[in-house]
Amino acid sequence: MPEGYDALVVGGGIAGMEASLTLGDAGFDVLLVEKEPSIGGHMIQLSKVFPTTDCAGCITTPKMAATGKHPKIKLLTYSEVEGIEKTGKKFRVRILKKPRYVDENACIGCGRCEQACPVLIPKEWEYGLIGRKAAYIPFEMATPKKALIDLDNCIMCGRCERACPKEAINFLQEPEEIEVEVKAVIIATGYNLFSPEKKKEYGYTGNLTVIHTSANPNIIHGMQMERLLAPSRPYHALVRPGDGKVPERVAWVLCTGSRDKSVGNPLCSRVCCMYSIKQALLYSSAVPFGEAAIYYMDIRAFGKGFEEFYNMVRELGVEFIKGKVAKIESRNGNPVIIAENTETGEIMEEEYDMVVLAIGLLSNPEAVKALGVELDQYGFVAQPQENSNPAVTDKEGIFVAGTATCPKDIPDTVAEASAAAAQCIAYLEEVGS
Amino acid sequence: MTERTKIGVYVCHCGGNISDYVDVEKVVDSVKDLPNVAVARHFVFMCSEAGQQLIKDDIKNLGLDGVVVASCSPHLHEKTFRDAAKAAGLNPYLLEHVCIREHSSWVHSDNREGATRKATWIVKTAIAKISLARELQPIRLDVEREAIVIGGGIAGLRCAIDLARAGSTVHLIESSPFLGGRVPQIYKLYPSGKSGCEIVEELIDEIKRYPNIKIYTNAEILSAGGAIGDFKVTVKVNPRYVGKVSDDVIAKCPVEVPDEFNYGLTKRKAIYKREHSYPDIPVIDMDACTKCGECNPDFDQQPQTIELKGSLIVLATGFKPYEPEEGEFGYKVHDGVITLPVFERLLALSDGKLEYNGKEVRDIAFIYCVGSRNEEHEYCSRYCCVATLNASLGALEKFDGLRAYHIYRDIRAYGKYETYYEEAGKKKMLFIKYDPEEPPVVEKSGNKLIVRVKDLLTAGEELEVPVDLVVLSVGMLPEMSEVFTMLRVPFSRDGFLQEVHPKLRPVETAIGGVLLAGACQGPKDTVEATASASAAVAKADTYLVKGYAELEPFIAEIDPEKCDGCEECVGECPTSAISIKDGKAVVNEALCKGCGACGGVCPTKAINLRGYYYDQLEKMIDSVGGD
Repeated sequence: MPEGYDALVVGGGIAGMEASLTLGDAGFDVLLVEKEPSIGGHMIQLSKVFPTTDCAGCITTPKMAATGKHPKIKLLTYSEVEGIEKTGKKFRVRILKKPRYVDENACIGCGRCEQACPVLIPKEWEYGLIGRKAAYIPFEMATPKKALIDLDNCIMCGRCERACPKEAINFLQEPEEIEVEVKAVIIATGYNLFSPEKKKEYGYTGNLTVIHTSANPNIIHGMQMERLLAPSRPYHALVRPGDGKVPERVAWVLCTGSRDKSVGNPLCSRVCCMYSIKQALLYSSAVPFGEAAIYYMDIRAFGKGFEEFYNMVRELGVEFIKGKVAKIESRNGNPVIIAENTETGEIMEEEYDMVVLAIGLLSNPEAVKALGVELDQYGFVAQPQENSNPAVTDKEGIFVAGTATCPKDIPDTVAEASAAAAQCIAYLEEVGS
Repeated sequence: MTERTKIGVYVCHCGGNISDYVDVEKVVDSVKDLPNVAVARHFVFMCSEAGQQLIKDDIKNLGLDGVVVASCSPHLHEKTFRDAAKAAGLNPYLLEHVCIREHSSWVHSDNREGATRKATWIVKTAIAKISLARELQPIRLDVEREAIVIGGGIAGLRCAIDLARAGSTVHLIESSPFLGGRVPQIYKLYPSGKSGCEIVEELIDEIKRYPNIKIYTNAEILSAGGAIGDFKVTVKVNPRYVGKVSDDVIAKCPVEVPDEFNYGLTKRKAIYKREHSYPDIPVIDMDACTKCGECNPDFDQQPQTIELKGSLIVLATGFKPYEPEEGEFGYKVHDGVITLPVFERLLALSDGKLEYNGKEVRDIAFIYCVGSRNEEHEYCSRYCCVATLNASLGALEKFDGLRAYHIYRDIRAYGKYETYYEEAGKKKMLFIKYDPEEPPVVEKSGNKLIVRVKDLLTAGEELEVPVDLVVLSVGMLPEMSEVFTMLRVPFSRDGFLQEVHPKLRPVETAIGGVLLAGACQGPKDTVEATASASAAVAKADTYLVKGYAELEPFIAEIDPEKCDGCEECVGECPTSAISIKDGKAVVNEALCKGCGACGGVCPTKAINLRGYYYDQLEKMIDSVGGD
């Protein structure tokens, strides 16, 4: 008999954690499956969050810890749902646990393997701003805080094996097939980021993870800026990646890859206006005499407290220019923005020390494929009763939360995660044991 | 009492939030040799798994009998650290969480030395306090599966259904005679394209399936109070003055008055019902009724007063549309200037061609942000951009030959709703962006309305737009209710109800057991309102399904030896938690909020606040007296 749970939650970002914690607190057994080596999702990478400017780490870390140690929640990280089949009232779920090449139970997260490893490659979690080793712990607050080995980049030198005090390294680990039985499922698979190199005229040619090959490394994207501004920031100072200079003039280009059919995404990403405004505020306090400019089409400050936040930042002196940026060129290593100011009709050419492309949020259809629910034309999970019960999908017993249905901010995501948990609880109480 | 002498002190860097401005090492150095301290450490993120583990290991390995954590506000993480202490076997109330971020590093970022000194004081007082701390136990209250939902709009309906499905009894209270709220007035809802009536009918059909949902319509709330696990609400159910009668009987009523559901676009009888709604029993509007007796009325019906109890209360009191001032964009001055909710009804009621006041409508101007994003109401009302785009698309689809002008500030068609904006462009509707400093002006010219506006999209060109109808896209205001004051629920700056934290606790209020659903918390569309309603239910379920709630033990404690029964405290208590039994004061644990007002007036010092005993407070003051 496979192990049984009341609910399976797919995805361990803020939506998945919130849904799991709500279910767990109400007394239900939860299996949380996360494809990355740690839970936390995108939110743990953010600097501070609008409109309250709480530090994201301060809110996310304890959620991660609470999820990790909750007696009713079982965590499976670095694992993916491969298939799901409904038999009677239950779902039989096949999960693939990828090999970490480190014995999770033995590893104490001391980091000695990381120190010993001679390989240095760009660190995905920092969007390539700095490097990581082939033997590594994904990030400082990772939950679980366990090492893994990236075999694609490993040179098999064996140094990690010798450095490990617990003999946890095991190059012979195989992928593990796990079968479980659950009564309900919550999808919280989140979003993919838009790849800014698709917007060729903006001059960001780097691989998302390798900033150093950009034509101009001082053109970065919004998530990289989040990392530069975070309390746990990679350089411990706000400097531009190209040459380490403190950027004195910074511009944000909104709607990079959103509301833009030329790159295949007609939708608005809902968060970029506000995260850019917030970044401009954080930048202004990090570089008090710096100049910040935001190029926008419409400022969409629609949530609770958002308009007030926008007004406050505007009054602090951040410049707002209505105009779609046509092109970003380079001059002496500095990015130059070419845009039409819609309100004056004038063609502008402005040089900045650094440009931040406010990239948007796309669907993540790959992550939901195995669950067999209906998707909309954009690859988001369809909501057949959107107006009256947004958490239900076309499959009975499968619920959805967060950005799996469309881009959205953290307050909306958290509310939806609880909503999915409520639908799940009602369903579980109705189907009974 | 004997002092605790094995206290562990943990100072957090909070990334750099604290350590950039406070010398955390110096703080640790200045307290590590204090007589009650066994160990003092600093760490980058105390709240992380690794930070918590550090505390847990010390509790186990060093046998700590008290812990002080100095980091962010206790609002954020006191519970996190108490849970960690508990997991390591220490009574969680032997852990004191003090704030050196909001109280020191953030507010004194210009003065590292001063911020460090202040942080040290804060830590020292916490050590003093915990050195005399008692082991406390949380107050456990049984929670029956019974909840009260106030408001029968879309959010309240969603709440009632979800609570009932999970097995709870629900009392659903609606002030108007029929369920459904404002959603049935909407012609077509985005994104489903279904009519508001259809959506609400579906929900009401579902409501009817659950006998554990008790519905009170036409109900006024007379009083509301109590605490989690034990709320009491008294409602006065006003009479309908008639039983179930056929439509033919209703038709006999000779009176006709403007129908408020249609904003006066149509008339209704003095006796009326709502087809899409519940109950299926009409109501007599006594202000209009002539008492002719044609509809078999029962004028002897009396209001009924009912006492309801519930373990939790969900507020789903909704919003009301902003009512423009007379003359605002020509409202109530020029014929043909209406608000968006009225336009929705006009769309639903018109057939064949679109007419307003007997005049055919060809050209429509929609003016956005009316009653939003201004000095009086600084907030954005969130739903109006998409609702207006959607209504204009609905109008063009239903009636041939319409032309629409959108006079806006920013089109906030967020997320997937961008497609409505795109669709409007495809339909050749014109978009004109106005400057709030120079808002559009509506004038009358012959049988047309003229909107004069400077268009920012064409570098401030002055335009004159002749139209037949001006639709004001009005924002949302909170629907006020006396129950807010009765329950002492706090408001946000924007006048809507305030949640505890938008991300950590988005549906809870500062009043334990009072939850928020829908637009009473802030402008929301139906998708967001129903999601927040279910979210409130999820929070409720964590108590209702589990069957108990745990409350903090920080309440008044009476020393019966010292109490002489003078009753001073009884009068002082704002929550009526103290009574006199056998000549001594006693505290109701569920009602006491731990405000300490009773202690202040007690002439014999018989009242202590648990967790803040007099000897603790005295030692805290002494601990920094010398510095």
